[in-house]
Amino acid sequence: MVRRVLALPSGRIAVVVLVLVAFLAVLGPVLAPQNPLATSADTLTGTSGAHWLGTDYLGRDVLSRLLDGSRISVLGSLEVALTALVVGAVPGILSVYLGRAFEWITLRLADTLVALPFLLFAVAVIALLGNGISQAMLVTGVLVSPLFYRVSRAATLSVARSQYVEAAVIAGASVGWVVRRHVWLKVLPPIAVALAQTIGVGFVIVSSLTFLGIGVQPPAPTWGGLLASDLAYLSRRPWAPLAPAVLIMITVWACNLLADAIRDVSGEAGRALVNNRKARANRLDKAEPAPAGGA
Amino acid sequence: MTTTEAPAVPDVRRTVAAARARHTVGRVLVTLARSIAIFVPVFLVATFVTFALRALSGLSPARIQLGEDATPEAIARIEEQWGLNRPFLVQYGDWFNGVLHGQLGTSWTNGADISTLIGLGLGVSLSVATFALLIGVVAGFGLGTLAALRRTTWIDRAVTGFVTAISVMPAFVVGIVLVAVFAVGLGLFPSAGYIPAEQGFGPWLAHITLPAIALSFDVVADVARQLRSSLVAAYSENYVTGAVVRGLSPRRIFFRHVLRNGLGPALATLGLKFPSLVGASVVTEWIFGLQGFGRFANDSAQAGDVPAVQGVLVVSIVLVVVFNLVVNLVLARVTPASQRGV
Amino acid sequence: MTTLSEKLHVVDVEAEAERAEDTSVAADPAPVLSVRDVRISDRAGDREIVHGVSFVLTPGRAVGIVGESGSGKTLTCRAALGILPAHFEVSAGSIEIDGRDIAGLSSAEWTALRGATISAVFQDPASYLNPSIRVGAQVAEVIRVKKGVKRGEARRQAIALLRAVHLRDPELVYSQYSFELSGGMLQRVLIAAAIAAGPRILIADEATTALDVTVQAEILDLLADLREETGLALVVVSHDLAVVAQLCDEVLVLRQGEVVEQGPTRQVLHDPQHEYTRLLIAEHEQYGLDKFLAPQLAPTPDSQEDA
Repeated sequence: MVRRVLALPSGRIAVVVLVLVAFLAVLGPVLAPQNPLATSADTLTGTSGAHWLGTDYLGRDVLSRLLDGSRISVLGSLEVALTALVVGAVPGILSVYLGRAFEWITLRLADTLVALPFLLFAVAVIALLGNGISQAMLVTGVLVSPLFYRVSRAATLSVARSQYVEAAVIAGASVGWVVRRHVWLKVLPPIAVALAQTIGVGFVIVSSLTFLGIGVQPPAPTWGGLLASDLAYLSRRPWAPLAPAVLIMITVWACNLLADAIRDVSGEAGRALVNNRKARANRLDKAEPAPAGGA
Repeated sequence: MTTTEAPAVPDVRRTVAAARARHTVGRVLVTLARSIAIFVPVFLVATFVTFALRALSGLSPARIQLGEDATPEAIARIEEQWGLNRPFLVQYGDWFNGVLHGQLGTSWTNGADISTLIGLGLGVSLSVATFALLIGVVAGFGLGTLAALRRTTWIDRAVTGFVTAISVMPAFVVGIVLVAVFAVGLGLFPSAGYIPAEQGFGPWLAHITLPAIALSFDVVADVARQLRSSLVAAYSENYVTGAVVRGLSPRRIFFRHVLRNGLGPALATLGLKFPSLVGASVVTEWIFGLQGFGRFANDSAQAGDVPAVQGVLVVSIVLVVVFNLVVNLVLARVTPASQRGV
Repeated sequence: MTTLSEKLHVVDVEAEAERAEDTSVAADPAPVLSVRDVRISDRAGDREIVHGVSFVLTPGRAVGIVGESGSGKTLTCRAALGILPAHFEVSAGSIEIDGRDIAGLSSAEWTALRGATISAVFQDPASYLNPSIRVGAQVAEVIRVKKGVKRGEARRQAIALLRAVHLRDPELVYSQYSFELSGGMLQRVLIAAAIAAGPRILIADEATTALDVTVQAEILDLLADLREETGLALVVVSHDLAVVAQLCDEVLVLRQGEVVEQGPTRQVLHDPQHEYTRLLIAEHEQYGLDKFLAPQLAPTPDSQEDA
């Protein structure tokens, strides 16, 4: 599947962008040209040789803060996605097998989590339960987990009702064996799609929370925090929000692109895509245009 | 007005009309009952989680009122005043009973009535959210319809590209950009604050426009995408062929047959989108300096004012549940087929 | 029970009389549908799918097209309705509806022609009705739009039409949705919608295929009645020779886009020239095709033996 994703131009772009972002997260703090916490007398300067992206209201180098802050943002969104994956997908798959009571309870819980305005809840829960980015992301992960629950449940249901699995069960296969052998393969692509999406969503949430100053202690730089401090000095440095905003948007966009690419190459849609491409190639070969039929 | 079911009365028409009316009423009731069956557990679970927050957080009004170095006796006295020394379930029952009666308790920080405090902010938040929803529906429907009608042309690609672009913009980024461009840069709109509609419609609109636009991007993107794909799907349905063969015009087929069925998923999206709209108000109200209930939630949460936070959460849950109930009823009206038990 | 002619006020006595006299050769000078050596190609795969189909249809008569799935029956019908799927086109030959070549028709002209002159019903009737609109309203819509009558009058006519296609309790059916009706009822509704604007040609593409045997017989009777009482010309498409034999004057046997046999129904059935036709008939004889050769008999074992 990885090779097929990379075969699509959109998949390649997404992967390149995400690798770059991951690279920033790993090496960002090392790459930062100056100490991101060091204040100086020249506050709110524009772009210059010493400060490529200028300085903030305390005279700190914005580029260094941006690079340094990338780690928290990336790790945070990964934590959201992985928490959601574990909390959502496992009960999602099991809900098909563990009987009606478990199914009913998990369905109601999923309904509830979906209905909660999650940013509001995230803010409330995190602020009340203690101000740490890690706890914050765990809570957020739980709040977005219904996506995984639904996706994995739907995929599992489609396998569980299929005749080959029925045959296996009649032949005496255990639930564990069926899940490992059949369900996993079918459930994996939609979960991969959801994971890519959730990393994107996680990014937005991490940035939103850090923007509000929730989950981080003040001097530590984050992308959202940078935006928040820029907001107060917009009249002095109107272009300041550009860099962090563009970084956030490109990362989210790459995640969505990756999700679409995975969806395109897996399952029914993937086959349709391949066929479409063949048809298009055929038509391009022909010189005369083919008029479309009636409607 | 009971129906005339006596076979002696030859008024077939009226009987049929009555049967039809009963049919419709029955359908609405079934939808309502099914929606309520889903939302009651949601409400119960959500409020329970909300209430459990206090026990989990370990926060106490004593800390807020007395500071960190209070004596254990003083803390115990204050907690007793607030009734926090009673068993958990008793407190929950008390609180839940209050919620059902619209009583959300009093604030730990200033002793004010929380229902009143939230009521003050709700007008602001609802103005913005409603306007955002309006923008989202109008723009989303316009873009989605346009892309579906001109599918696979450059217009479709342009719309899809635009929609993708705005879908990756978080509300707070949009908010900042809007403030930078339209308020600080061009000076077309006020950058912060709120004026109630009673003090003038123009100023009210001016103050809520930017936050509403910031909030609406997400809705526009989702509605447009969903509507495009469901319209395209509806166009490939056999009933469209059927309508074509019966000699109905393309315009008529679109408005009466395709749009109606394509509408369902887009409406459902709207229902799903509403919670995040309410949630994102925390951020936009912060940016635009609105004293709405999102801001109230943020401030209360940071101050550790647990009853106030619980109050906001309960109100937001009620908003979401009511909104989804309305969406379900509209859905049942627009696409009756989707409502039968699957 | 009121008859169709009373409901629709369109009786083509002449056509009926003519048919009774002579069932082999079309003698009517004014064909409503003529298909001349039509070839249909798939532009995407660059293949010719249908290799030349010709037939002429006059009012009150019926042509049957028989063949296995993929033989090009449905494409031929769709070509006549102007609804070929994307990148399919009529690559040679011509189709004339009521004397007009369809090749140069604009979208608006097609809209005017469909429903009012040519119409169609298909297999799987449920999917051809909009699930979100009451079925009666969909019949009334056709009447209102195509005949330009008022809402109330359209409703009245639609109910009359539903009664005419032998639906019991038409007023109740009028207000139901497609998912509340059975397959046979839906096909009747679909037929009502198709003939609502009084077309001269009705294409029935596998219209009885998914229905169970008794319902199938009723629908075929309904089509036969319509044809006799309104002078409707029928194109009956089926993979089932028995269906075609019951309704049609002329039969085309299609195989892989090729017309392998064409002629008056009786002749094709009794004296098949092509091996494939013989195969189709032989298959049917095992299940008792004879009972359909005498179409008015009730299909019970007793009466069959009597015949």
